[in-house]
Amino acid sequence: MIDFTLTEEQRQIQSLSRQFARDVIAPQAARFDRDESYPEEIVARAAGLGLLNVGIPQAVGGLGLGMLDEVIMGEELAWGCMGIYSVLMASELGITPVLLAGSEEQQERFLGPLVGKPSLAAFALSEPDNGSDAAAMKTRARIDGDEVVITGTKMWITNGGLADFTVVFANLEPEKRHKGVVAVVVEKDTPGLSYQKITGKLGQRAAHTAELIFDEVRVPVSNILGEPGDGFRIAMRTLDRTRIPVAAGAVGVAGRALHESTKYSAERQAFGQPIGNFQAIQFKLANMKIGLETARWQTWYAAWLVDSGKPHTEASAIAKAYASEVAFDAANEAVHVFGGYGYVDEYPVAKLMRDVKLNQIYEGTNEIQRVVIARGLQKA
Amino acid sequence: MKIVAILKQVPDAESRLRASASGVDLDGVTWVMDGMDEYGVEEALRLREGGLDAEVVAVALGPDRYEEALRTALAMGADRAIHIESDEDLDPISQAKVLARVVEDEGAQLVFTGGKQADWDSSALGPAIAEFLGWPHSDWSTQLELAGQQVRVRHDAEVGTEVLQFPLPGVITTQQGLNEPRYPTLPNIMKAKRKELKRLPLGEVEQVEARTEIVSQTLEERERRGRILEGEPAQVAQQLVQLLRDEAGVLAK
Amino acid sequence: MVLIVAEHADGQLRKSALEAVTAGTRLAGELGVEPVALIMGRDVSSLAQELAGYVKDVRVVEHDALGDVRAQTWTAVVSAVAQELGALAVVFSAGRVGLSVAPRVAVRLDAPLLEDVTELQVEGEQVVATRLSYLSRVTERVKARRLPVVVSVTLNVMPLPETGVSGSVQPMSVDIPEADQVVSVGERSLPEGGRVQLEEAKAVVAGGRGVGGPDGFSNYVEPLANALGAAVASTRAVVDAGWREYEEQVGQTGKSVSPDLYIALGISGAVQHLSGMNRSKVVVAINKDGDAPIFKAADYGVVSDLGQVVPEIVKILKK
Repeated sequence: MIDFTLTEEQRQIQSLSRQFARDVIAPQAARFDRDESYPEEIVARAAGLGLLNVGIPQAVGGLGLGMLDEVIMGEELAWGCMGIYSVLMASELGITPVLLAGSEEQQERFLGPLVGKPSLAAFALSEPDNGSDAAAMKTRARIDGDEVVITGTKMWITNGGLADFTVVFANLEPEKRHKGVVAVVVEKDTPGLSYQKITGKLGQRAAHTAELIFDEVRVPVSNILGEPGDGFRIAMRTLDRTRIPVAAGAVGVAGRALHESTKYSAERQAFGQPIGNFQAIQFKLANMKIGLETARWQTWYAAWLVDSGKPHTEASAIAKAYASEVAFDAANEAVHVFGGYGYVDEYPVAKLMRDVKLNQIYEGTNEIQRVVIARGLQKA
Repeated sequence: MKIVAILKQVPDAESRLRASASGVDLDGVTWVMDGMDEYGVEEALRLREGGLDAEVVAVALGPDRYEEALRTALAMGADRAIHIESDEDLDPISQAKVLARVVEDEGAQLVFTGGKQADWDSSALGPAIAEFLGWPHSDWSTQLELAGQQVRVRHDAEVGTEVLQFPLPGVITTQQGLNEPRYPTLPNIMKAKRKELKRLPLGEVEQVEARTEIVSQTLEERERRGRILEGEPAQVAQQLVQLLRDEAGVLAK
Repeated sequence: MVLIVAEHADGQLRKSALEAVTAGTRLAGELGVEPVALIMGRDVSSLAQELAGYVKDVRVVEHDALGDVRAQTWTAVVSAVAQELGALAVVFSAGRVGLSVAPRVAVRLDAPLLEDVTELQVEGEQVVATRLSYLSRVTERVKARRLPVVVSVTLNVMPLPETGVSGSVQPMSVDIPEADQVVSVGERSLPEGGRVQLEEAKAVVAGGRGVGGPDGFSNYVEPLANALGAAVASTRAVVDAGWREYEEQVGQTGKSVSPDLYIALGISGAVQHLSGMNRSKVVVAINKDGDAPIFKAADYGVVSDLGQVVPEIVKILKK
């Protein structure tokens, strides 16, 4: 059975997200991009509408939305601003390990307090010297009585330092390489935890990105998710899921690129007619549309697999790599359609290109996605 | 007290309408709750939140897709919804007859409708519902106060604004400025699933026959001269005034 | 007969009343019946005489309850007169009052309503009207399935009638039921200082966000409006920003205007705004953004800074 019909609630989620993106996010996106400042008020409004931390289960007071719900919402929000959407998306990323590996007690303790508030979560895996090569991490953990002690530096952490809690991956037994990794929840304001905001980013400048420094940070062992040594598997299972919202965000950017290009090419005149009359432009628009539609269906498919409890590693890797590439191409072509105006920040398309470049990089570069896909092929 | 908020679902203003052989092709447009109706739902909710013991009922008359507008109203906070199902192209007066029957059956005392519907571009619905019920109405309302059974409402008059006062029951048609409608929240969207949405076929509510018939529809394409004037400000100004006087004939010679 | 409802304000017939006379007289001609004009109020006999300069048969209803314009009292009078005289059509002008009263009269007479129409024809025995729908993006022809029919006519579309008729004025008395008198009219607030009434204005100067701020209205919009004897209007964005009052807003959620001349200053031209002004006969757009959609809806466009061009236009007009 294949059915692409959205439920009534999903259509409502879509329309709310769309309205919020158009009325609230889009008009302010350029300002946060220019100032490289954190959109605190927008995040608060999003939280007020229930758009933040939607994955928190109903058992602890959340909405317990599924992946397809989240993807539908993500596409719309990213249409307004990929950087602002990344703030919300990264919080779902921070929640996911607790959903996948946390006990009921841990879910209650860490996720419950986020409900209904503009409170964020974060996920800290990458380090200054290693990103995709997670097994090479240098952050260390040791057990001291009933505490875990963490030391090391995490890099490129969205919401890092702002989040109420951060799921940190550290190596307890480095000789075991990735089998020695532990996932630990570290709450904000724990002594020894500090951060440095990263500035000068190419795009997604509204998202707060930080370097997190752990200097003998002590948390109770009850903050360990799953068993010590499960950390790497938890991280991978998390990313298997959360790459899908990255794809959804890319679809949103591609949609925006197409929207802006279609509008502009109907208005802009050259040689006595709208440039949209020229086939050179029409083909660009058609290609954007092809990319947009196919990327959306792959994203939905991957989300549907998650919601149906089916294996989704390959589908999510395809969605993430494909959607982010399609979106980058669309944004790139949009810049071209706009000509000189595409190259300046007064018009929205240059930002689309800068923003969506990151979708090709974070939560596993597109090369890593291809490794994942190829590995699956060779195993079969 | 029961408050009825009447909703329509209309093409999003940004949607592009297309011409078709039979008139205007509405396939593929995005449908939204009429923005003017959102003011009515919001005002009803505010009255309830302000301490009025009221049940807010969202009512719509139209095809299946109208259910989405009703769901939106439920997600905004309306208590329940009634959908009178009909695919007929009913004129606003005939619609009003059906809706007035629902208001009567519900025993409601206060009715909100949009000041002007974005499909028929009609502002007749509210006044006609009021007339079918024998109630007073205030149209294009920008401010509403309810003190017991007394309504005090500011509305647009022919020139400026004026205040109308009357006892309930009554009909209020809305206008921008009345309030700032809320977004439905995600938790309320999920809760709305469990709220009552009653569907009634038109025939079970009221027998009506359309009083008017649309003979033809074409996309409005007013021919404009589309002439862009260029040059120094003083020259352009001179040229514009001359054209308005001599070519367009809208300035006295 | 065709009954024409004539509006008046401040002791004068409204221009829209005369436009309704034109529409009603033409319709009566096509239906092969006589036009009859109705004027009502507390003390309107001299206006009735003036109206008789345009229509042969004028009926006047004076009543204490008619001091204020109220939808229900008007409905009671119009419906009673229409029934008594056997009207085939009742013609209003589609200003705020007409739009409010005509639907009620249609209900009371069990008649179809043709609302806010720009043209009227009789085909066979039926009245067919032309009007706009879908935020003025669609032109439709609508047929009333039976007679009598109630009609409201778009402002500024019909020409003014010739005067020189010497009509008769007959008083009529109508009972206005208590149930139609429950509304009382309280305080009124008029736009500042005798500005021209927006919907009836021959010329309108409108300002959008592009005028820059409230000062843009006092520096450009108002001086140009004064020089032209035009009404001032604004867009929703301007009203939302708190620069101007609601009653000046033109567009989907504001007023609809159809002047001979509409000058849009610093207006981008969103569909919602266009829906309120695209029946204007001649549209001028001045905006520094040459890609603004308003230029597609304009007869004359000037891509320029308002601060440079508008003062020049004002200077020329004042000469």
